[in-house]
Amino acid sequence: MLEPGIEEKTFVLNLGPQHPSTHGVLRILLEMDGEYIAKADPVIGYGHRGHEHMAENRNYLQFLPNMGRVDYLHALAYNQCWCMAVEKLLGITVPERAEFIRVITNELNRITSHLLWFGAYLMDLGAFTPFLYCFDDREHILDLLDRVTGSRLTYCYYRFGGVPSDIDREFIDGCFAFIDRFRSRWKDYDNLVTKNVIFINRTKGVGIITPEMALKYGITGPNLRGSGIPYDIRKSEPYSAYPLFNFEIPIGENGDIFDRYVVRLAEMEQSLRIVEQALVKLPNGPIMAEKVPKRIKPPAGEVYQAVETARGEFGIYIVSQGEVKPYRVKLRVPSFATLSFFPEMAKDNLVADAVANLGSIDVVIPEIDR
Amino acid sequence: MLTDTIQKALAPLNLAKVAPGDYAKTGYHLEVAAAPAQLPALAQAMLNTGCFLESLTAVDVSPEAFTLVYHFANFKELCRTVVHASLPKGTEPPTLSQIYPGADWYEREVYDLFGIRFAGHPNLTRILLPEDADFHPLLKEFGAGDAGTGD
Amino acid sequence: MEQLTQFSATELARMIAGLIGVIALVSVNALFLIWMERKVAAHMQLRPGPMEVGPHGAIQTIADAVKLLGKELITPEEVDRPIYLLAPIVVFLPVLLCFLVVPFSQSLIIRDMNVGIVLILAFSTLTVLAILMGGWASNNKYAVFGAFRSVAQNIAYEIPLLLTVMSIILMVGSFRLTDIVAAQSRYWYIFVQPLAFILYIICATAETNRTPFDLPEAESELVAGFHTEYSGMRFALFFLAEYTNMFIVSAVGAVLFLGGWRGPILPGIFWFLIKVYALIFLIMWFRWTFPRVRFDQLITFAWKILIPLAFANLLITALVLKL
Repeated sequence: MLEPGIEEKTFVLNLGPQHPSTHGVLRILLEMDGEYIAKADPVIGYGHRGHEHMAENRNYLQFLPNMGRVDYLHALAYNQCWCMAVEKLLGITVPERAEFIRVITNELNRITSHLLWFGAYLMDLGAFTPFLYCFDDREHILDLLDRVTGSRLTYCYYRFGGVPSDIDREFIDGCFAFIDRFRSRWKDYDNLVTKNVIFINRTKGVGIITPEMALKYGITGPNLRGSGIPYDIRKSEPYSAYPLFNFEIPIGENGDIFDRYVVRLAEMEQSLRIVEQALVKLPNGPIMAEKVPKRIKPPAGEVYQAVETARGEFGIYIVSQGEVKPYRVKLRVPSFATLSFFPEMAKDNLVADAVANLGSIDVVIPEIDR
Repeated sequence: MLTDTIQKALAPLNLAKVAPGDYAKTGYHLEVAAAPAQLPALAQAMLNTGCFLESLTAVDVSPEAFTLVYHFANFKELCRTVVHASLPKGTEPPTLSQIYPGADWYEREVYDLFGIRFAGHPNLTRILLPEDADFHPLLKEFGAGDAGTGD
Repeated sequence: MEQLTQFSATELARMIAGLIGVIALVSVNALFLIWMERKVAAHMQLRPGPMEVGPHGAIQTIADAVKLLGKELITPEEVDRPIYLLAPIVVFLPVLLCFLVVPFSQSLIIRDMNVGIVLILAFSTLTVLAILMGGWASNNKYAVFGAFRSVAQNIAYEIPLLLTVMSIILMVGSFRLTDIVAAQSRYWYIFVQPLAFILYIICATAETNRTPFDLPEAESELVAGFHTEYSGMRFALFFLAEYTNMFIVSAVGAVLFLGGWRGPILPGIFWFLIKVYALIFLIMWFRWTFPRVRFDQLITFAWKILIPLAFANLLITALVLKL
């Protein structure tokens, strides 16, 4: 009743595109040897919308809303990257207050992304309750961001030269209230998940990413930092207002799932620190640069701009030929490189570990498919 | 300085151009131009200096040629190297997937979107588009459809 | 077996009345348990749970049951039809039979057999057969995976379960459930056999396929496990069996460790139900707190930790009794 696979003793198990734990429309063909995986082959592209092609046929401003749709979980970082790349092409300097607002909203967005990962990942491991705890916390941030950006998920908030609307007192108070509330929740998360023996058994020593492999595959973000390499664009290639704040880059030791988990949790705390400092230091002044041309027509040339998103390094490569539309736009997305490592990671592991691994690398499928 | 190390490592390869870039304007510390045939040796040299392949893509620059664009960066020190390789249409550049396994998918993507075949690639199939697609959307001749108004 | 030969007309009437009572109890119990599970889950997750249908959503489950009854019964084309159709019935019958010997109070028991506990253990094992039938006949890889896991898991956890039950039996000297309750007139066995109680609860959770041991239906890996291909009322029967099973293991737990129907003031039946639902709450608590264990860890846990512990417990019990 099971049709034979490539070899007689194996068979093919089709994980997805509709499967409870593929987080988006991802399909993985697993060649199984019993409960063990002989070969994993991810099939992507179900959500391919052709963003890069769209970019060539829209002007610079028209392409801005697309960025919120590439990675819907950390949309503001993508917004920021596009704005910064175009600003670089045009030679615009963003006023300080606008940079601060960008950092604050961006970091809040990063926390929502990590929280969603946290909840969804625990659900992959069969624990349902943390998911709702996380969504409870996440909801507070979404309300805050809703207030200033006008949307809750696919943000399109930053503009070339700054931000279109200022933050108000209520937003600032809301942020401080959230920071207090969220810090008081760490204990709950620790007791419920981090110290849980079943969780530790399932994640320690499983799904190891070695620094060598990360180098060869170009894995970035928390997946890389879990392996002990402190590579974070916010520090290594400082942009926006990040150099003005004190924060650390949490790293792991073994590069296993547990380390990645710890890194992401610690990163949320660092994001809180950044938001806190930015709110305290928030300077007065304009939120929009003065000399932003109405008609954006950057000079010919090319530019590469990278930012640190919740999943790693996101880079935009623009080739301009002095037209109103970009000549070529390449989106370097972090999940693409990470997922291409998955077959190696899953090989000779249990199918249960494959699910645990797939969840732990935190891929966002629309981002990979573009 | 890593820039110097990389320049030194690339020196024996006889590349067309190895020059410091204007970081504030382009985001590059080092700009390199190479012939497609030199790419594997170049990639090996970059790997030896501890750089990772940040991105790999192509640009359809003219009806006669593509430009392959490789970005390399480093985990330890800020140094972004861009490699441009002009590729006449119809020719096959060598694959880097044996040196950087991560290049496997990038090359498949470039094949998918531009139709560039990488010689020696283990599994050069469509990755984002359906397997039965008969076009390569990022070629300029593919056209725009009716999306976007330009201005 | 002397009771079986003394089969009289009154016994028959009692049996029929009992059966009707049991079916009523099973349905009401399942409706209540599903509602309870939703409420327990909701409150653990800081949300109110169902609130709209009836007071505090009390008749939400009835609405769901009506919906399930109205659903089309889909039989996939490639299934092994006879086995596929039989499995939901087979899963349900043994559970029903277990109720024959459950002592709800001193007098409220359908047949007070002298092999009561053996009967329950024997019948509850049959559930795994139904899961295997359902999983195999579905002609679905996920379902087969679920079924295989279920078999391995049930065999592994049956052993420590039997061993812990044996240590209680040694103390009582009878398989009759009423005798076991009667033996706890001075103190509950949970106080003299705490380890046995813990082992029993772990094994019971595994036997009923509940989180953290819900591997046969591990959603994130196997979609829905053995009942992936079942819909409508057939799915509901699997569901019903799971909840009824939970009631049975909790009832046995209450009899073995918590003194059955014994308790002050209130009539025995109330005490019995309070204890049963307290145990059920405990099992629900596990589900909404723990992640799922991995399959190899599950089996290792049973063979390397639970079985030796259960053996040691049995030996110590025997030694203490002998002295």
